[in-house]
Order: sequence, then C-alpha cells, then structure tokens
Amino acid sequence: MAEFGTLCLFCALAASGWAVIASFNGWRAQLGELVLSAERAVLVTWALVFLAVASLEYCILTDQFGLEYVASYSNRALPKIYKFTALWGGQAGSLLFWELILISYASLIVLTNRRRNRVLMPVVVTTLAFVSTFFLGLVNFMARPFVRLAFSPEDGNGLNPQLQNPFMAIHPPCLYLGYVGLTLPFAFAMAALATGRLDDTWFRTTRRWTILSWFFLGTGILLGGWWAYVELGWGGYWAWDPVENASLIPWLTCTAFLHSVMIEERKKMLRVWNLSLVIMSFLLAILGTFITRSGVISSVHSFTKSDIGPVFAGFLGLSTLVSVGLLLYRLPDLKGEHRLDSFVSRESTFLFNNLLLVGAAFAVLWGTLFPIISEAVRGVKITVGPPFFNEVMVPIAFALVTLAGICPVIAWRRASPRKLLEKIQVPFWALLGGVAALLLGGVRDVYALVSFGLAVFVITTTVMEFFWGARSRQKVTGQGFGGALLSLVDRNKRRYGGFTVHLGFILIMVGVTGSSAFKQETTASVKRGESLTVGRYRMLFEDMVSRESPNAEFMGARLAIFDGDRRVGTLVPGQNFYKAGQNPSTEVAIHYTLREDLYTILTGFDPQEGRATLKAYLNPLINWIWIGGGVLILGAWFAMLPDLRDRRRDAEGRLAEVESRAA
Amino acid sequence: MPPEPGRAASRPASWRRRVPGIRISVFVAFVLSLASPLVLPSSAAEVSPQHWVEGRLMCYCGCADLTVRVCTCGTADTIRQEIAARLGNGESPDQVVAAFVARHGEQIRSAPLKSGFDLVAWVTPFVALILAGTALVVVIRRWGKARQGIPAGAPSSPGTESGRAPTPEEQRALERVRRELKEDR
Repeated sequence: MAEFGTLCLFCALAASGWAVIASFNGWRAQLGELVLSAERAVLVTWALVFLAVASLEYCILTDQFGLEYVASYSNRALPKIYKFTALWGGQAGSLLFWELILISYASLIVLTNRRRNRVLMPVVVTTLAFVSTFFLGLVNFMARPFVRLAFSPEDGNGLNPQLQNPFMAIHPPCLYLGYVGLTLPFAFAMAALATGRLDDTWFRTTRRWTILSWFFLGTGILLGGWWAYVELGWGGYWAWDPVENASLIPWLTCTAFLHSVMIEERKKMLRVWNLSLVIMSFLLAILGTFITRSGVISSVHSFTKSDIGPVFAGFLGLSTLVSVGLLLYRLPDLKGEHRLDSFVSRESTFLFNNLLLVGAAFAVLWGTLFPIISEAVRGVKITVGPPFFNEVMVPIAFALVTLAGICPVIAWRRASPRKLLEKIQVPFWALLGGVAALLLGGVRDVYALVSFGLAVFVITTTVMEFFWGARSRQKVTGQGFGGALLSLVDRNKRRYGGFTVHLGFILIMVGVTGSSAFKQETTASVKRGESLTVGRYRMLFEDMVSRESPNAEFMGARLAIFDGDRRVGTLVPGQNFYKAGQNPSTEVAIHYTLREDLYTILTGFDPQEGRATLKAYLNPLINWIWIGGGVLILGAWFAMLPDLRDRRRDAEGRLAEVESRAA
Repeated sequence: MPPEPGRAASRPASWRRRVPGIRISVFVAFVLSLASPLVLPSSAAEVSPQHWVEGRLMCYCGCADLTVRVCTCGTADTIRQEIAARLGNGESPDQVVAAFVARHGEQIRSAPLKSGFDLVAWVTPFVALILAGTALVVVIRRWGKARQGIPAGAPSSPGTESGRAPTPEEQRALERVRRELKEDR
C-alpha cells in the first residue's frame, strides 16, 4: 500500500505540473484544448492525491509500523478516531492533507466554472496548480509520508496525548480549509491582473469562497481556543503563541477585505487596495505555515524542526515577487474614480475599519517577529508574550468595536453629522446606562467598563437596525412584525448576516472581558474530607478514583461541588498516563454555567499522605465566547446564502458572457 | 429590494419624543444593575506582588509558551515557590524579576522592556497606525474634494441624507421598490 501511495503522489506531481504548463501555454497561445487538458489534469491530480491519502489512512488504521510516519504518530492502543486524525498529527501527513484540501478546492473551481469565467480560468488553473505542485514537491521529496523503516517495530510511539481530543479532530481541518481557501481569491486576483480583466468578475466569483475561508479560519481559531481551554489545563484559551498568531493575522486581513470589497462593489473604488488585501491574505497564510513548520520561531504548536523552512521561504518570496510584480504592472489600469461624497459616510467608516484591521494584523505580526528582529539587531533573544499583545491589541479592538457600532447607522455616501448624532443617541444613552449600572454593581476595572459599555452600544445599534428595518417593511407591506423581520432578513442575507456576525463578535468580547478581568483562582493541597474554595464554590475532596482504558490509565480526584450549602455536582479532575507516552496529560474537569465556569485541575497527588494538590479557576462569562462563536458562525453561513439579487446578477453575468461569445 | 433601514427618513419622525434617552439609559441601567452582581463576582481583584512577578516571567519548562502565572507544570511550581521566598525575604517585585533575568537571560521576561531598543516593539504598531491614519484622512479629504469638482447634474446615490427632495430617477427607483415589495406579499 505504501508503494502504491508513493506512486500516486509521484503521478499526482506529474499531473499537477502538466496542469501548470498546459494552462499557462494554453492561455498564452489561446489554445482552448490545452486549457481543457490542464483542467482535466487538475481532476486527475485530485483522484491521485485522494488515493495517496486513502493509502496512508489504510496504513495507519492497519498498524503498519514499518512506515516511519505510522510508527511515529500512531500505536496499537490508539482509538480508531485518533488513528484517522493521525493523518494530520505529523509534518508529512499534514502537508499531504493540506494538498488534498487544495486540490479539492481547485477541482471544485474547475467543475463550477466550465461555462463561466473562461477568460480568467487558464490563469486561475495555472495559479492553483502551481501551488499544488509546490506542495506535491514537498511530500514527494522533503516530507515524505511513505518512508519505510529498515525494521518493523512491534508498536508505534502513539499520537501526542494533547492531540487526542475531539476538538483536535476538527480544529486542524477547519484551519486548513481556511488557510487553503485563501488560495482561491488569490488565484482569481492573479487571473484578473494577468488577463487585464479588472472588472468586478473576479471578486464576485470568489466572494462566497472568501467568506467560506474566513468562516473556516475563524471556526478553526475558535475551536483551537476551546481545545486549549479543555485540554491544556491552564484555564485560558489564547496565549498569543506564534502559531496562534499566524492563524489570526490572515483572518484579520481577510476580514478587512470582506468589508472593503463592498466599497468596490458600490463605487468601483479601492481596486488596488482590495487586490492587495487578497494577495496579503494568501501570503500571510503561507507565512503562517512557514512559521509553523520551519522552527524559525519556537512554539508549543509547531511541528518538529525540519529542513522545509528555506523551501517555504523561497516559495513565499517567489509568490510575493510575482503577485506584487503583476499588481505594479497593472497599476495604471487600476485607477478608479476615487471620490467620496462626505467624510461622514459609511465608506469612511469602512476605510477606518480597514485601517484598524490591517493595523491589528501588523501589530500581531510585528510582535510575533520582533524576537527575530531583536536577535538580529542586538544579538539578544527576547520573548514577546501575552502582556505585550494584550496591551497593544486592546485599544485597537475597542476602536474597532466602536466602528462596528457606528457603521450600521451611518448612510452610504453622505450622512450629516447632526443626523448621525441623532441616530447614535439611543445607543449612547444605553451605553451610559450600562456603565452606570456596572459602577453601581461594584465594577471598577476601566477596561471592563469600556468593554461592556461598548458591547451595550453595539448591541443597541444592531438590534435597532433589525427593529427599524422590520418596522419600515411592515409599513410598506402591511405584514406582521415577525413576518416583516423574516422577509427583511431573507431579502438581504449578506447585510443581516454581517450584523449577526457583529453580534457574535460582541458576545465573544463580553466573554473575554469577563473571564480575564474577573477571573479568580485558588490552589491548595487537601486531604480526603477537606475543602478548598473559589468564589462562591466549595470543593470537597472525597476520594481518588482511577480507571483504565486500552490507551491510557486515568487517575483523578473526585470533588463534590457546593454552591453555598447546595451540592451542584461532582467533578473529577485528573491525569491520563498514556501507555505510549512518558509524560502524564492533564485532564481538567469543568462545571459549566452561562454565568461562569468552575475549572478544576489536579496538579499532583501524594499517595502516602493521601493529599491531592488542586488548582481551581472561576472564569466568569467564559461560555459567552463559545456562544458568540456560534452566533458568528450562524451569521457567516447566513451571509453566504445567495440573495435574490445575487441570483439575478449571476444570471445577467452569464447571459452577458454567452452574448459576448456569440458576438 | 428592502428599504435601507439605516436611513432616518424611513423612521417615525417622533421617535425621539417617544423614546427619550434618559428613559433608555435608566432602563439599561436597571436591567444591568440587577444582572451585574449576579453575573460578575465583584470588581477585579488587586494584583498581588506574587502574581505581578509571575505574570512578568515566562515558564522555561518548554511544554508551552505560558507565563509562570498560568503554567501548570512542575517547573512553574518551583519558580512560584522561589518568587514567594524572595518576596518573603523582602525583595521588591522588580528585584525578583531582575534576579531571574540575571540567571536565565532576557528571554525569561514575558514582554519587552519599555526602554532602549525594546521600546521599538511597543511604539511601532501605534506609530504605524497613526501615520497610516493620517494618510487616510488626507486621502479621504482629497477624494472629497474630487467629488466637489463634479458638475451639479451628476448622478448621486439615493442614500443621500441631505434632506433634498428625491430626483425623478430616485422617485422611480422608490416606486420600483414599493412595487417589488407588494409583489412579494
């Protein structure tokens, strides 16, 4: 099977290489048949890569430890689901999985554009196949998943215990779908630049793909945070680790693009800027992959150091050179009509929103790379950790949230300052009321007051938008309020999906503020029958418990949880001793409520004295982060659904293309 | 086409009289003042010197990029004990941090210093934002001036809020919207 997999990968490399050559030459020589051949080669590459992935999965699932990859990331006792996910547990397998996602996206693009975008498609295929060829080159020559060992060990090393978690089964695929998806708008942007077809076709075609990538990247980041929370055992969800940052940076630039592209749609402005954002997002996704896999910056999430770093750097350099070169070449053709009716307009707020989002991306990138800069300049390696990012990012985030509150109520083109003030009067009073209430409730933390106050402001403006929109519709159509609201939202999914995303983001901010500003903790070493307390919870240590699974032995402390005098549950924080690993893995136990989480960790146990050392955190409002994430996902899905007007525009576009071909 | 809900023109003119700001403010204050003591434990706790020092040092266990404040490994426990002992011996929090830096190097600090070359790390993002923001303001003003140069008869958006009467073109667009909405029913 391993030989078959190797053969598939080699043939896939050849097919993908052919797709690059054929599509590029087909485009240059205007040979439609050559372009079609390239498109078929993409589909063939997909089939071959799929077979290679299936071969590797088969080897993992059937415990073929004669393969280096299987011996390194799986073992006999590993549950089937984690054997399956071991595909992306190591460098070579994850690169292969990356390639499978990329070529699947490319195939979908080929299949859905057989009769559309025929002018752009040759360059789109060239770009996608070029990126695919690069990754196939890596898995064929540098990070090979089918390397045989000189001997066949009895058992494998097993998967990293921290990766044996349901969130880790979903988190990497989501991130990859997001990262890789950014290649699609990039390919269409390259096609627009290369062919000179600089109208809105390229971004209209890829709008949904871009939202989809943004959605998967965001979901991946969120799931990563959730995984860190339930698995790593430090009571938090985001540590500003370089690899975490690497996923956040392209997400921020992609968010900026999704906002600024609306200005191009309406006013044909910012064409250079939008192309730059798409190029930037793709290059930052590659940079993130480079950071994760090269070992240039140390991180808990990164793969083992390997020699693919320079190759990635070369690919990044080449991609930058070609894309920026093309952009500069087309610059004279990209000059739009840059006119703004007023400084006080939605266009302006979008421009400032872009400034802040790209500024935030720059700040995170700067902090992530500063240790390298410091070492190069001073020869001293330093750490840029959470205090830096928290201090720099909080003011930027507050400014962004303020804009999210103002933007929906400000009109396109021109809004008079008087009317704007009138419109934000209600949200502003709500903000004041909210802050006053929090002050009365004893909250004195300035960041928390600003954060919660802004949350009230944005929620009020957003709810008002839904309310007034439905009222207006109700007046015109005579429907009931509920019906009017539903039809309003249904007729403009993108707008109201976007507002829902804003609401989700605000809930996340509330959760982050609550769980960081009001966090409480306690650590104690207790004997059976003794208690420790955090906030209003008392935890009574009842006994030690142990259980065995085929893969690991678990030892935990059973705690009776009391809220005042009322017993509200039982928690068993513990540690897993994996048979294949040496270090125990912390297994936290959490008492979830909408109000707060009681988060318990067993940090040690002395069997002779019968003492358990326990750490407990009280994390207020933390579950609103995950709820907000759900709202955000819902909003993004909704925004991706086609509107009536989108369908009409699509039909018109296709008709125009058919007519132009007929002419 | 749905009406643009962001426009004041489509709203009842007397909304301000009917929903006065003070009443909203009092309502939100009332709701949140009932909820906040239930939800939030109290104001954020004072940061103790022990926690302050723990937050400024990275754990060098190698298992995660976490500060000593949150890392749960045995190495972090040892560091916390040493911090407690040093503070107990009368060392100031800054002296404790300095002692760890002297032993383990600059890398143990969780964030760059706000002096010397490290200050560059702190100021660069904000300097970049201020410069880009200034450039953006200049560009927006320039684009605004370009707009002013357009002849008076040039088409304008129906979204304009200048309070003028709609042009015949806008009137037709509005009629079409109303017709579409009626058809929708």
